[in-house]
Amino acid sequence: MSLFNSDDSIKLSVMKSLLKYILFISAAFAGILVMQGCKKSWLDPEPLSFFSPSNAYQDAEGMRAALVACARNARIEYYGDNPPILTEMLFSEVSVDGTTDKSGPAQDLNLLITPDNASEFDDADHAKIGWYWKEGYRAIKYANTVITRIDDAKYESAEERNAILGAAYFHRALRYYRLVHQFGDVPAVMKEYSEPKLDFFSVKRDVILQKMKEDLEFAQEWVPDAVNKGEVSKGAVSHLLTKVNLALGNFDDAITSATNVIDGGGYALMREPFGATKKNVIWDLHRPENKSIAENKEGLYMIIDRFGDGGYYTGTTTLTGGMRVMRNAIPYWGSNINTPTGKKGTNDGTSGDLDLVQSDLIGRGIGRCRPTPYSQFDIWDDTSDLRHAEGNWMRMEDLAYNEPQLKQSNDPSYLKPLQLHNASGGLLCKDTIRSWFEWPQYKLYVPDDENNPMQGGHTDWYLFRLAETYLLRAEAYFWKGDLASAATDINEVRTRAGAAETTADQVNMGMILDERARELFYEEPRKTELTRIAYLFALTGQAAENGKTYSLENFSDNNYYYDRIIAKNAFYRDGIHTIHGDQYTISPYHVLWPVPTDAIQANSNGIVNQNKGYTGYERNVPALDQIPED
Amino acid sequence: MSLSLSLNAQFVVKGKVTDKSNNEPLPGVTVSLQGSSSGTSTSSTGTYSITLPNGNGALVFSNVGYSNQTIKVNGKQSIDVQLAAGLTPSLSEVVVVGYGTQRKKDLTGAVGQVKATQLENENPSSVQDVLRGNVSGLNISQTNSASAKGGGDLLVRGKSSINAGTSPLIVVDGVIYYGQLSDINPNDISTIDVLKDASSAAVFGAKSASGVVLITTKKGTSDEPQITLNSNVGYGEVANNETLYDGPGFVSWRTDVQNSRFIDHSPYEYDDPRNLPSDVSLDDWLAYDNSSGDPVDVWLTRLGMRPVEIANYKDGITTNWYDMMFQKGFRQDHTISLSGKKNDVSYYMSVGYTNNEGVIVGDEFTTLRTRLNLEGKISKYLSVGINMQFADRDESSVPVNWGQMVNSSPYGKLYNDDTATFRDSPNDDLGNNSNPFLDIAYTSRLQKTNSLFGTLYAKGELPAGFSYQVNFTPHFDFYRYFNGVSADHPSYRVRKGIATRTDRTTYDWQIDNILKWDRTFGEHKFNVTLLANAEKYQSWETQVDNEGFDPNDNLSYHNIGAGIKPIAKSDDQVSTGNALMARLNYTLMERYLLTLSYRRDGYSAFGQGNRTADFPAVAVGWLFTNEKFMENATWLNSGKLRFSWGINGNRDIGRYVALSELTTGKYQYITPGGEVIPVSQLWVSRMSNPGLQWEKTTSYNIGFDFSVLNNRLGGSIDVYEKSTSDLLIKRSLPTVIGFDDVMANLGEVQNRGLEVTLNSTNINRKNFSWRTTASFWLNRNKIVHLYGPVNVLDAEGKVIGQVENDDPDNKWFIGHDLSEIWNQKILGIWQADEAEQASEYGVFPGDFKVEDVDGDKKYSDADRQFMGFTTPRFQWTLRNEFTLFRDFDVSFMLYSSWGQKATYNEAKNNRGFQDRQNSYTFPYWTPDNPINDYARLYSSNGGASFDVYRETSFIRLNNVSLAYSLPENIVKRATFESAKIYVNVTNAALYAPDWDYWDPEFRNRNDEGEISTAIPPRYYTLGVNVTF
Repeated sequence: MSLFNSDDSIKLSVMKSLLKYILFISAAFAGILVMQGCKKSWLDPEPLSFFSPSNAYQDAEGMRAALVACARNARIEYYGDNPPILTEMLFSEVSVDGTTDKSGPAQDLNLLITPDNASEFDDADHAKIGWYWKEGYRAIKYANTVITRIDDAKYESAEERNAILGAAYFHRALRYYRLVHQFGDVPAVMKEYSEPKLDFFSVKRDVILQKMKEDLEFAQEWVPDAVNKGEVSKGAVSHLLTKVNLALGNFDDAITSATNVIDGGGYALMREPFGATKKNVIWDLHRPENKSIAENKEGLYMIIDRFGDGGYYTGTTTLTGGMRVMRNAIPYWGSNINTPTGKKGTNDGTSGDLDLVQSDLIGRGIGRCRPTPYSQFDIWDDTSDLRHAEGNWMRMEDLAYNEPQLKQSNDPSYLKPLQLHNASGGLLCKDTIRSWFEWPQYKLYVPDDENNPMQGGHTDWYLFRLAETYLLRAEAYFWKGDLASAATDINEVRTRAGAAETTADQVNMGMILDERARELFYEEPRKTELTRIAYLFALTGQAAENGKTYSLENFSDNNYYYDRIIAKNAFYRDGIHTIHGDQYTISPYHVLWPVPTDAIQANSNGIVNQNKGYTGYERNVPALDQIPED
Repeated sequence: MSLSLSLNAQFVVKGKVTDKSNNEPLPGVTVSLQGSSSGTSTSSTGTYSITLPNGNGALVFSNVGYSNQTIKVNGKQSIDVQLAAGLTPSLSEVVVVGYGTQRKKDLTGAVGQVKATQLENENPSSVQDVLRGNVSGLNISQTNSASAKGGGDLLVRGKSSINAGTSPLIVVDGVIYYGQLSDINPNDISTIDVLKDASSAAVFGAKSASGVVLITTKKGTSDEPQITLNSNVGYGEVANNETLYDGPGFVSWRTDVQNSRFIDHSPYEYDDPRNLPSDVSLDDWLAYDNSSGDPVDVWLTRLGMRPVEIANYKDGITTNWYDMMFQKGFRQDHTISLSGKKNDVSYYMSVGYTNNEGVIVGDEFTTLRTRLNLEGKISKYLSVGINMQFADRDESSVPVNWGQMVNSSPYGKLYNDDTATFRDSPNDDLGNNSNPFLDIAYTSRLQKTNSLFGTLYAKGELPAGFSYQVNFTPHFDFYRYFNGVSADHPSYRVRKGIATRTDRTTYDWQIDNILKWDRTFGEHKFNVTLLANAEKYQSWETQVDNEGFDPNDNLSYHNIGAGIKPIAKSDDQVSTGNALMARLNYTLMERYLLTLSYRRDGYSAFGQGNRTADFPAVAVGWLFTNEKFMENATWLNSGKLRFSWGINGNRDIGRYVALSELTTGKYQYITPGGEVIPVSQLWVSRMSNPGLQWEKTTSYNIGFDFSVLNNRLGGSIDVYEKSTSDLLIKRSLPTVIGFDDVMANLGEVQNRGLEVTLNSTNINRKNFSWRTTASFWLNRNKIVHLYGPVNVLDAEGKVIGQVENDDPDNKWFIGHDLSEIWNQKILGIWQADEAEQASEYGVFPGDFKVEDVDGDKKYSDADRQFMGFTTPRFQWTLRNEFTLFRDFDVSFMLYSSWGQKATYNEAKNNRGFQDRQNSYTFPYWTPDNPINDYARLYSSNGGASFDVYRETSFIRLNNVSLAYSLPENIVKRATFESAKIYVNVTNAALYAPDWDYWDPEFRNRNDEGEISTAIPPRYYTLGVNVTF
């Protein structure tokens, strides 16, 4: 302290006081901040990076964005690994699950199709039944958001409002049409819920369908055809209305609504080579680059999938990398195929010493979607049919032994066509279910610039196509007994593909289903359509081509659906075993899928009915015969 | 200013403290004035000097491992003291409670304390390591702890919440800490206190339901500046290995795979053609599939082996993938600190550098951490200070994809034929097997976090026993994650590389205003704390992804704009909170203790109208050994009964879960002109809940603290019951509503438990002492309510009663433990003679036999049963410390959990594609090996959705350490204060009687229920600790 004189010491003490003063001020300031913290508005939440319903659904743009959610939801059915549409196909005559190296995939349907599994599994190894339930109702929620809030937003005109409402009705009706044919009587949710509700009850299928018919009739009036591809068109509305009319047994209305599309002026079957490819009309029709061009008049409702939209977020995972149709529906040809000398014959890689990279032509298939003898052979009796013509259609013999090791060992088979048998008749394929079958290359070949080896890349897909409208009208004529008109409509589709015309005396339901299988493989929801038809046989009592008649009384025990599959699908009929020892089975009650357990359990104050044949059916109460108000 | 109460005279006491047994001087003994928090510590020669306000009062001398002494000053200016060694922690020690400290003696709640300085020899490498096994009732998972970074999740007294967070609140030097534990250098820690009961934690109100962990960092105490260097090196290795099949083992296993998989195979079809039995000719064998050519080729092709595998088999070349995945990872950790106290300034500053290689090749963690604790007294009544830590964390490492080692065949190849570039797939099977080194080779990554956490404070003494403190606590976190996968990576080749850049800045601050009043009136001691607090959290995140780099991806994430598929996202968040708190500690006659507290908390994440809530607590204590009637009970040195009750809150949920949220995303339309146009979608992804509020936990705690046998044995026993209501729960909704769930307050969960801790000094001789700490605890959990009662209707729809439903969807049942397993039960394996019964369930001999409770030949919920728990039934820890010849410290610590079960679906032997990969050497059923606990290879689950469970009870020898303190004469010659060399082993041994797959504690289940197995490490460390 001796360094300081008394002045310094005074200065020091002043400085200290000052410092204290500053500190006191700071402390007081902190106190004020805390006071600020006590104000009520201090605790108001401030969402910064997401929209809320009140600031988003206020104009036509907001409403259209909600419709985009519906459109995008429709895409997932065809998208990614084991897309749900395969489940629709394996519950029919056209295919089975060919994933033979484990238990889990839907092969032994009697064993595996349970409410628990439907609830628990939404992965590539299992049937996507729970997915259809959950995503169906999610899309209904998206549509209900628009329907419930339709008058909260401002529009340019009543036309604009009604067109948006009509498009929302279309999406809702599309999901209910599917749900009632997958699950039968289901809860009818007709508005957006913003708080929990736990007392839902199932509503009768035809009650829901009747409501959808009314909604679609409104939509048919207001939704225009001049829309972007990917949006709901008037043609799509009338096409769906045709299906609903058929499902209700309103055959005259079905003919009218189908005619609205066919004669509407906006649509026509493609009959000549066209587009960027101009190879043949069938090839051209299914090329990714041709599906949504203006020249193509056949698509009524398109799923859009092009590179660069940022993937599809499903809620848990982001799907990228396109449709993956080649992975799913082309044989697992890279394995299990030996040369006649017993060596591994094929290689599905893309690098290394490959002289022939077959993966670049057909991708690396895993044979998940395994066509049946019915869809590979039985329905192809017309050699002039372009849908089965060489180049459009691929056979295993069109592939070659390309394993590089064969070259090194001078195997005589190298780069020669594949053979199923050797000279003495011995089988050369270790797993003919998964690795040896034929496929429609014109539909499944989708170049892939994201996956290596290719799995099937980005492409638009036909959800509704005019060819099906003809077949639906043909069906309506059939139910009415007007077989000549039915034949005329079927021939529109047949002649376009270069196939011979059919005649009225050949028309029956099975024959229409054959034509659908030829034309709509990997497009139509086959199980939904078969169940709809099974309902119609039961409703009308009309005899089927197998001579049997059916009744709604014992629908889950005796129906056209099961009889048709057993007649045509050899896997289920003959109880074929996979190499893993699992047997292909199916039962009449599979005409309706099990309602997933979680859908029933979480509805603790009400009862969602279970279908006959599944655990929990005994808890059922009679389904409602009108749609509840709340 | 009315500071006239200032103390005019100052009184200095000096003296020396020695060890009673040998008269050696004792350094580091704390000397403090009784009833005051200020004090000093003795120097290396045992001397001290303390300045007192006057010559009255008493000095308390305390030192770890010695019993405290209290000596009245009575005007003496020189006081020498001899401390008796070997007496375990006494009740006079100070523990940290919220917003202040308390003598352990005066505690009314259940508080566990760890003195980090006592664990120096064990070299804890994280805060979790300090705590693991050292506090009863605190569980620390081994989640993530296998990585080079280390760590683990903390859980105090069982799981009390279903969907909200259950991590305890972390408080560092008196202020709430929202940063990562890994940013705190364990070398800087002085003590950690864990507040377990409601009353202790209640001062933290809405954040305290999961307990509170209070970390106190080191402060400067000695007059002389002290430099401490703690430096250690070591390595980690895989503690429990799990073998894969080698080449020949692989071929014989694969033979069995094919035999099991192809049910109808021909005799010896998959066996080595060179060893066929006499009744099967080679021609017959070849004819099975009409093969010709080399029978070995035919055989291996039948086994599904690829040409590359066949060639290597013939050449006798195998690759040991396992050994390439794991390494002896080098670890080093160095901290240097400077501390001291001079005049009115105390300081502690440190810098520490840690670089750990993991046991998995490529895994590495580096961090640089600094700390500055500075406090200056600017007048007699006012101190200002700063506690500041900065951390730079580097988590950029890309570990090898070790999971692929199971998929890689021992006959696969690491490199392409050029012997330089990695083969895409070692087995040439891209669909199932990728080269484990691809990620390392083709990923460039920068993942760094810089965090700055500090408190600036001023505290002043006011008249009449009042004091005031204000804290301002800013916390910054700067996070960067830049990742680029090269176009040379086979999976991204056609996508021409992908890259992402994520930047996130977090800034949160808090302000605390604390007013205290501390007064004694005769036999009445009052201590009042009042708090007003405000806080705000803000974060800003930007993420840009891109792919398809053109003309090439050489610039990777450095030029994110060079790609053709940009995706930009951002997420900004803000939340606010505030709090008011009052607490009274009252002590009557040093015997009767009372704590009352009350806190009101506000938080912006809750629903309108529920943003604030109140949290009261009461606790009483009775130091009954101070009663007259206990005077003769000399065997009992001290005894205290405690009782507390309180309500704690939990707000650990997302910031916006009460609000409805619209999700956006992209889709495309095509215009009639053929142009692709991007469109935006909007959908409601979250249902709002305007009534959402706090989760509340009401707890009772009864405790008993004691010390007997001349303080040689002490301990505490606590029993508690916690009841958590208004659970924050993701309530399942009927899916038809379009939402899976909604965040709601429902139900009630109860936790009850018992905790016993014992400390004893078993032997205390001059050249040998032995101390033991043991603890035992258990927790029982029960769901009391879920969604409330609903009406039961009769056939006519009339209400005939009420019932509360379980939630089988989430597997939550009223009256059962949250962790209770409800599943289909395994009875064993279907044996060969049961083929017919097995076929009724669609399965075969060798598959698991699952109990069909209702006998309907199908599996459903009706077949599910309760089968034990995934959480431990009881746990214990045991620590023993020995001192030999005064210079050697030896200790070991064990901890143990009993009764918990984990899924073990490995026993199904059906994971992956066994026809295309390798496998661990699990036992498996065959007709010749008819075991009952493992299925056949490639087994079928049939229609059941069951899991296999095994008990994971274990005892772990978690730490063994040996330290040698250099004798004083050597130390002095080298001008050190002290020097110590130590070695230790972490995770030295494991005993797990029912588990034989890696390490049971490293079996993790994430929130989605997915199981993962981490590699258990063992660490060996050699270190020195020198003080100058």
